[in-house]
Amino acid sequence: MLEVLALALTVFLVILSAAYARRFGIGKEILLAGTRALVQILILASIILILFDKPLFWSLLVLAVMAAIAGHTTYSRSGKLERGLPVAIVSIAAASLVLLIPFFLMGIFPLEARYIVPTGSILIGNAMNVSSLAIDRYKGEIKNRRSEVEAYLALGAKPELAAAVCLKQGILSALIPSIDNMKNLGIVWIPGVMTGMLLGGADPMEAASIQIAIFTSIFVAGMIASSLMLHYSTDSFFTKAAQLREEMD
Amino acid sequence: MNRVHLELKNVSKAVFRKVNNTSVRTQILGGLDLNVDKGELVTIMGASGSGKTTLLRLINRLSEIDSGSILLNGNDIRSHVPMELRRKIGMVFQVPVTFKGSVKDNLAFGINLWGGNTGIETLSRDAGIPEDLLDADAGQLSIGEKQRVCIARALANQPEILLLDEPTSSLDAQSAETIEKLLLDLQKERDLTILWVTHEKDQAERIGGRRLILKDGRLEEYHA
Ligand SMILES: Nc1ncnc2c1ncn2[C@@H]1O[C@H](COP(=O)(O)OP(=O)(O)OP(=O)(O)O)[C@@H](O)[C@H]1O
Ligand SMILES: [Mg+2]
Repeated sequence: MLEVLALALTVFLVILSAAYARRFGIGKEILLAGTRALVQILILASIILILFDKPLFWSLLVLAVMAAIAGHTTYSRSGKLERGLPVAIVSIAAASLVLLIPFFLMGIFPLEARYIVPTGSILIGNAMNVSSLAIDRYKGEIKNRRSEVEAYLALGAKPELAAAVCLKQGILSALIPSIDNMKNLGIVWIPGVMTGMLLGGADPMEAASIQIAIFTSIFVAGMIASSLMLHYSTDSFFTKAAQLREEMD
Repeated sequence: MNRVHLELKNVSKAVFRKVNNTSVRTQILGGLDLNVDKGELVTIMGASGSGKTTLLRLINRLSEIDSGSILLNGNDIRSHVPMELRRKIGMVFQVPVTFKGSVKDNLAFGINLWGGNTGIETLSRDAGIPEDLLDADAGQLSIGEKQRVCIARALANQPEILLLDEPTSSLDAQSAETIEKLLLDLQKERDLTILWVTHEKDQAERIGGRRLILKDGRLEEYHA
């Protein structure tokens, strides 16, 4: 019964906002996005339901598929850099996995699909967002600071060194939203996990502790994923003879 | 006997210009030859857009020739590790670019990268940078001061060859002449081989050396 009410509210809101947004010319887009979201989340719920009585292997497979899709999204955002797809997938998957493991190793969560899939997906989704922002900015910095990068090269600096200032800027600007979120945690907003646990009847202290652990893990995973990704993308901006490539967009 | 230091043989280079979103190939240099002796000073003139900057960038391999060859001391530059080639062939750009940090940080860049025993004091003295500027933020310097920093930064690598791309084009007449004099002194002092791009006839005359002009993709002797 509860599901029906919640879904009915969703459909109502999507239609209402789409109708309103027609005047901005994005009515169709909102309708489409809303429908997609609705269908996708129901599929996800069914998958988790199915995973409940399957071996853990299947949960990990689902996460791997999520990481692949996330990697592809970031790769597209990067303007499809040479060798960019495997780099993006591996960066996002590795960073998320490393931060996922402690939760189960320490016994914060039991090793079950119900916990692995959502926790993993939060990490992957955020790693994707941060990496996309980071690579986009990194590329933009290199483009805008061509003469500076080439001044470094002209002194005999290797590409990694010549691009280091741009890389730093890329990571920094990608992490700023997360840092701001961290500062305002609990003041401006109650984050999703805690909200969910409170709604589910959990003790506020427990909900808060798990939320902050997940929150910092999200941050660290994003940082690791974007650092890996940018580090291994540097080569694609340069030729074998350490020349800054001309065609970049 | 003068030793040939730098040799360009039949060098060509085309660039791709974007015109209405399509790439159009334009030949900039073609069949270009040049011999420069050790310690020689060569000035290169040429109209705007004739390819002077393009030519210099090929020599330190910031961009790649399409055909022909460039030899440094008789060896193809492609047989060098690009980073080491660029240490030996310093370049001063048309518009000076300083790195983040103080003047001192900028001058120390090459020393940190390559080792070397040139002290920052010597460098700044040679490049005419007043001592009280050493700790200043390089980004806040005047263009003339920045250009000095760039010259000193290039010299810190102890290059054999210096490529100068209109190093005084963004300066007023007086600062331009000071920098000219500075570069000429450095050349004598360090026995540098210099390729000096300029579009000013007067400057080429003041500098002296062998005068060439870039025209239709090749270098010719320049006669006033
Ligand atoms: N990366 C590039 N892409 C497209 N065109 C280029 C590129 N670099 C140079 N060109 C073109 O090649 C020509 C030669 O450029 P170059 O900068 O070598 O001229 P220049 O002789 O140094 O001119 P100036 O005296 O104005 O500095 C110009 O027409 C320029 O538009
Ligand atoms: Mg030029």
